[in-house]
Amino acid sequence: MSFDDSKRYFIDRRLAERIAATGSGSFQSYFAMLRSDADHEIEHLVNAFTVNETYFYREDHQLRCMTAHLLGDLLRRKPDREAIRIWSIPCSTGEEPYSIAMWLMENWSEVDKYNIEIVASDIDTRALKAAAEGVYGARALMRLSHDMIERYFARIDEAQVRIDPGLRESVQFTRANLIDGQDMARYRDFDIVFCRNVLIYFDDASRRIAAENLYDCLRPGGYICLGHSETMSRISPLFSVCRFPEAIVYQRPEATDDGK
Amino acid sequence: MPFIKRGASSTDKAPDSKADGGAESHLAALHSPDAEVRWTAARALGGVAAAVPALAAALGSEQVPRVREAIMTALMRVGDEASVRALVPCLRSEDAGQRSAAVEALQSLPGAVAPFMTALLADGDADVRIMATELARNMAPEDATRVLSGLLEKESHPNVCAAAVEVLAEVGTRDAVPALQACAARFAGVPFLPFAISTTIARISSIES
Repeated sequence: MSFDDSKRYFIDRRLAERIAATGSGSFQSYFAMLRSDADHEIEHLVNAFTVNETYFYREDHQLRCMTAHLLGDLLRRKPDREAIRIWSIPCSTGEEPYSIAMWLMENWSEVDKYNIEIVASDIDTRALKAAAEGVYGARALMRLSHDMIERYFARIDEAQVRIDPGLRESVQFTRANLIDGQDMARYRDFDIVFCRNVLIYFDDASRRIAAENLYDCLRPGGYICLGHSETMSRISPLFSVCRFPEAIVYQRPEATDDGK
Repeated sequence: MPFIKRGASSTDKAPDSKADGGAESHLAALHSPDAEVRWTAARALGGVAAAVPALAAALGSEQVPRVREAIMTALMRVGDEASVRALVPCLRSEDAGQRSAAVEALQSLPGAVAPFMTALLADGDADVRIMATELARNMAPEDATRVLSGLLEKESHPNVCAAAVEVLAEVGTRDAVPALQACAARFAGVPFLPFAISTTIARISSIES
């Protein structure tokens, strides 16, 4: 997050609200609470600063990176006929996994040569239900062209559209908890994982557990895309940093550090 | 469309049988020659207090960074004094990555670390004392101020003092001012330190006023 001087009042007010809400009494006490993430205060503060929303083609520079670099690299190493597996976690109400499918259809000329599997998971079953229903309002569509909306959605009424049934059937929705080892053990062999804007809500230990779980979910050489304000380097040294013109992503090393 | 969907059961593979073994099998697996097996065992033992001695022993001998990370995470998840005792020796590691990982792990356990702070801040190795100042960052402001002020009163190494001053600038309270002033007077011949201290005193005073 980045705020210029004009947002100073906004920041001061939100901080004052959180200091009062937590009974911290002073900025120092509140800052110490924030640093130790007591009572998930980081999440509360981030929520105070952000409008929780998601939309189609959000952070599409990562989608561009996927088609410009990641898929080509993965396919060079992938055995023939092996499906490309992409995971969106957390997928919230479905905008991200559907965006991945739409982006591939629109921007990757080789899309018909390969079997592509898109799995979308979230801990919130209400969000998953909404994702599977695929009904969206104008705000979720704001980054899409009129032409794309016409081709991928059917209008329900003036305010809402429903995603194309074929696209809806392209994505498999499942429930998963990023920090539950047993839960995550059901998910393996992904080539690309989109895990955006969730690790910032976790405490240090949970972030490390999630990073280790994601490591196991990826194929060797597989990539993980985080939100623009997140860095895996600070969370875990398990992954290599890959800098592309469009985005910084993280990669599970092809060979493990014990040479296997 | 080119997209395929497998059935739910084939998409979601069954959990690895190794992950279902009991704690005893995971403890034994910490000594496996296979790093993948040790990694799985360390992850499975996360939060298991009874496994701390075995995890501590494994941490001391583990050569694969990835597995070491998993052992540290497992100890963090227990988060008791025994876990801290296991992590503290990593502050002396020759490997900078391991030292940093230990600092991060210990910073996340401010309550469990507190009983160790006096000894760590009095350690004979100045590098250990510098890293110990970092552990105060996540402590309550009054606790961080108390332990770091105590350090400043008798610390002879300017770099250790500088590290403590930097942490105090972030989390210190006004109670640190006398120790900071005394430190500045003691190190008047090391110009950067009185300068850093004056900045820190100004910051602490402005925040609290």
